[in-house]
Amino acid sequence: MVDIIWWVILGVIAVVALILAYFYNRIIVLANRISNAWSQIDVQLKKRTDLVPNLVESVKGYMKHEKSVFEMVTKARENMMKAGTVQEKAKANNMMTNALKTIFALAENYPILKANENFLMLQEELSGIENKIAYARQFYNDSVLEFNNMVTTVPGVWFANIMGKQSKPYFEVTESERKPVKVSF
Amino acid sequence: MEKISFHDQIARNKRNSVFLMIFIIAFAVLLGFMIGEIYDPSIAILFIIVAGVMGFAQISYSYYNGDKMILNITHARPANTNDVKEKHLENVVEGLAIAAGIKAPKVYVIDSEEMNAFATGRAPENSSVAITTGLLNKLNREELEGVIAHELSHVRNYDIRFATFIAIGVGLIAILSYMFMRSMWFGGGRHDSRDRGNGGLIIIIGLILAIVAPILVRLIQMAISRQREYLADASSAQLTRYPAGLASALAKIKTVNKGNMDVPEAISHLFFVDPTKTYLDSLYATHPPIEKRIEILKSM
Repeated sequence: MVDIIWWVILGVIAVVALILAYFYNRIIVLANRISNAWSQIDVQLKKRTDLVPNLVESVKGYMKHEKSVFEMVTKARENMMKAGTVQEKAKANNMMTNALKTIFALAENYPILKANENFLMLQEELSGIENKIAYARQFYNDSVLEFNNMVTTVPGVWFANIMGKQSKPYFEVTESERKPVKVSF
Repeated sequence: MEKISFHDQIARNKRNSVFLMIFIIAFAVLLGFMIGEIYDPSIAILFIIVAGVMGFAQISYSYYNGDKMILNITHARPANTNDVKEKHLENVVEGLAIAAGIKAPKVYVIDSEEMNAFATGRAPENSSVAITTGLLNKLNREELEGVIAHELSHVRNYDIRFATFIAIGVGLIAILSYMFMRSMWFGGGRHDSRDRGNGGLIIIIGLILAIVAPILVRLIQMAISRQREYLADASSAQLTRYPAGLASALAKIKTVNKGNMDVPEAISHLFFVDPTKTYLDSLYATHPPIEKRIEILKSM
């Protein structure tokens, strides 16, 4: 009889240990997915920041009268390089997106530029990065949603408290990015 | 809910791949045994061993090289990244791979007016997607993204592993059955010297197998790939969050495609839409009707 009681106790401990391990691993896995998703965004942001001087260089000669837009791009690039947190990077990203959109919108007025192979390739490269950022953001936000659901609902929240894990911020799209860009001539 | 079914799908594909592998080897061994029985029963064991080893070697070789073989047969070439259009294609693939959370597959292009695409490989880490120039030239960005997202969901779900195995299985079993039939003609003259009691039975069983197995594998090819196309369409919409893009791509493909691609039947199920026109009934079609796919996408 005593034997059976011992087995039951052992069984209960094993089940509890399994449940603990499951939630611990789940939280870790979800957190890792977020950092992976974040590095995907970061790589693309960095690539774009590196490409911007090339773009400025190749269009400067043609678009001599568009000083303000170049200032805008340079400013966005500086902000991007200074940004550290997710929110800062999201903000700098929005600014950069708008600045680049403006450059490409203005480029429509310069037929010579639009026939330039080098420029077209840069444009494709940058719009490709733009889309990748959008998709990386989608993946990142999905991952954050799943993680936040886990660490804010019962029973995940108990584990999260013990493990010191908190909800993570989303990579936000601001209103200005959603609106079409105004180009003044 | 969604997550569970997608992980289930991966597990199912891996399991089915193993079953198919065992089935093909068992089939090879069985036919080897029967050929041995017809030729000379005293060395039948030798035939079994040879058939088993050959079947296993073929399967292992295909596991690692099936994707290259398929890319070769379809005359796919690596995308030229100095070309703006093909660079664009590569960017779309890389972007959607990020959205799907997988490593970007290698990008190939097939020079053909027909609009089609396929994905192959044994796992997402070493997969490839191939797109025809017809597709690349005639679709806009949203439409192209829809098609690529469809292919990437095949990659992510390990559909590509099972589909590549099916392609090899269809080809291999057809060859084995043919070999068996041939051996019957050559072995036919030697029967008078031995007792026919169970030799005749074996021949009949072998014949039935040789006829039924290729049909069976083809039926698996059809049934499974049709069901997967719907699933991949749904996953595509989930990735791009824009089912209308894929729907409009399908509508374009429907009006443009003549269904005259030079592609063996064994790999037709890999493609986005049926590369060859089949006039057989829907039981034999590897793809669901395009209208039906569009209808489902529009209701999302």
